[in-house]
Amino acid sequence: MSSTSQKHRDFVAEPMGEKPVMALAGIGEVLGKRLEEKGFDKAYVVLGQFLVLKKDEELFRDWLKDTCGANVKQQGDCYGCLKEWCDAFL
Amino acid sequence: MSQFVENPAHLSKFRLKSDLVAHDVALPPSKSKKEVYVGLHLQHIGQKNAVDFSSDEEDQVQDVSDKEEDTEMPDPSGLTDDDLKAALLELGVKAGPIVASTRALYEKKLRKLLQSNGHGCLNGVEKGVLYSDSEEEEENGEEEDKELGSEGEKEETVKQSDQAQQGSSQMESRRSLSTSSDTEIELNGSNVQKHWSRSNRLDMPIVDTMKNQSLYYTPKASPYKWKMKLTQEPVKDTFKDMFPNTDATTTGIYATRRRPIKGAAGRPVQYAYPDTPVSPTTLEKREVERRLVPIQIQILVFLIVMCLLYLIYVCVEDNSFGPSVALLDSLYQGSDSEEGLLLQAETQDVPALSGQE
Repeated sequence: MSSTSQKHRDFVAEPMGEKPVMALAGIGEVLGKRLEEKGFDKAYVVLGQFLVLKKDEELFRDWLKDTCGANVKQQGDCYGCLKEWCDAFL
Repeated sequence: MSQFVENPAHLSKFRLKSDLVAHDVALPPSKSKKEVYVGLHLQHIGQKNAVDFSSDEEDQVQDVSDKEEDTEMPDPSGLTDDDLKAALLELGVKAGPIVASTRALYEKKLRKLLQSNGHGCLNGVEKGVLYSDSEEEEENGEEEDKELGSEGEKEETVKQSDQAQQGSSQMESRRSLSTSSDTEIELNGSNVQKHWSRSNRLDMPIVDTMKNQSLYYTPKASPYKWKMKLTQEPVKDTFKDMFPNTDATTTGIYATRRRPIKGAAGRPVQYAYPDTPVSPTTLEKREVERRLVPIQIQILVFLIVMCLLYLIYVCVEDNSFGPSVALLDSLYQGSDSEEGLLLQAETQDVPALSGQE
C-alpha cells in the first residue's frame, strides 16, 4: 500500500462537505492561508479548480505551485487526495 | 506570372485566405487581422516585382526560418480563448475549459510547447521522414536525403558539388515525385512540422534548379542515413547478398525461418538451459525432506506424551485411589526412559481398563 498520511485518509473517507481547505492533504496552515487569500477558502473550491482542469495532474500541480507556492511533495499529496476523493464520491 | 500576383493588400481577406491555402501555407487564427494574411501572402507567394527568384531566395529562406514562429502561432496571450484551445489541440493537447483561472496555465503550456517544438521540430522532421522514407523509392533516396537535410538543420551547409553535379540533372525530373511523396509523409507527422517543412520545400525547387552546389545541407543527425543511402547506391539489394539462396518472390517479401522453440510440439530439446532458479518454497521442501527423520522422532515423542496424558486422565477418573496412586508412582518412576514408560503404560493400561470394565 502506498504511503498515505492520516490526513489523506481522513479526507478521502467521507464527503468533504464544508471542510476548510486546510483539510486537504499537503495543504497546511501556510499554504491554506495563501489559498484562502486567493479566494479558495473551502476544499470544494479547490475541487472545482481541479475539475475544471479536467483532473489533469500536470496542470493542477502547476496551478497549485503558482497559486500557493506548494512544493513537489505537497502538490503530489493534494493531487492524490483530490483524485482519490473523486474516484470515491464523484 | 506577375499578372496573377496582384498587390496582396488589394485582395480581399477571403481571397488572401484561399491563396494561402492554395500554396499550402499555414493559416493564421481565423480572427487575425487582414495584415497578418497580407504578410503571409507576401512572404510565401512573393511580391509582384519578384521575378528574379535567385536574388530573393536567400532572403526568403531566412525570412521563413525567422518568421516561422510568428506565422505559426502569435503570442499566446494575444489569442482568444477559442484560438488558444485550437492551438493547443493542434499540438496534441486536449485542453479543458479556458476560464479565467485556467487561462494562464494553458498559455504557459502553449508557450512551453512552442519552444520545445521550435527546437525539437528540426530533429523531429528528420526522424519523422527518416523512418517513413526508408521504405520508399531507393532511387529517390539521394535527393530525398538532401531535401531532408535542408528541412533538418539549415544552419549547416556542406558543399557537395560532386553529388550535386551528378544528381542535378536527375533532380529536376524527379522533383515532383519526391515532393509529392514527401507531402504525404509530412501529413503523417505533426501539423507543426508539416507547416514548417512545406514552407521550406517551397524554396527547395528554386534552390535546386538555379544552383548546382552550395545549398545542400547535411544535418548532423543523418550522416548515418546518408551513409546508408550511399551504400545502397552501389549495392542495390543487400538482402540478396545476405541470402543468396532465397528465391525471388513476386511481392518482394522475404521471410526466414525462425529457430524452433525448445521442446515444443515434439521437437527435441536442442540445447539445455541452465538450471532454473529455485523458488523459496522448493527450498523449504528440500529442507523439510532433509529433516524428515528427526520429524518422525518428534511425532513419536508427541504420541508418547499423548498416551501419558490419557493415562493420567484415566487414573483421575478412577474412583479407587490405591491402584491410581500406584499407577502415578510408577508413571513418575518411569519418566526417565521413554521406552520404559511406554512399556509400563501399556502394562498398567491393560489392568486399568480391565478394572474399569
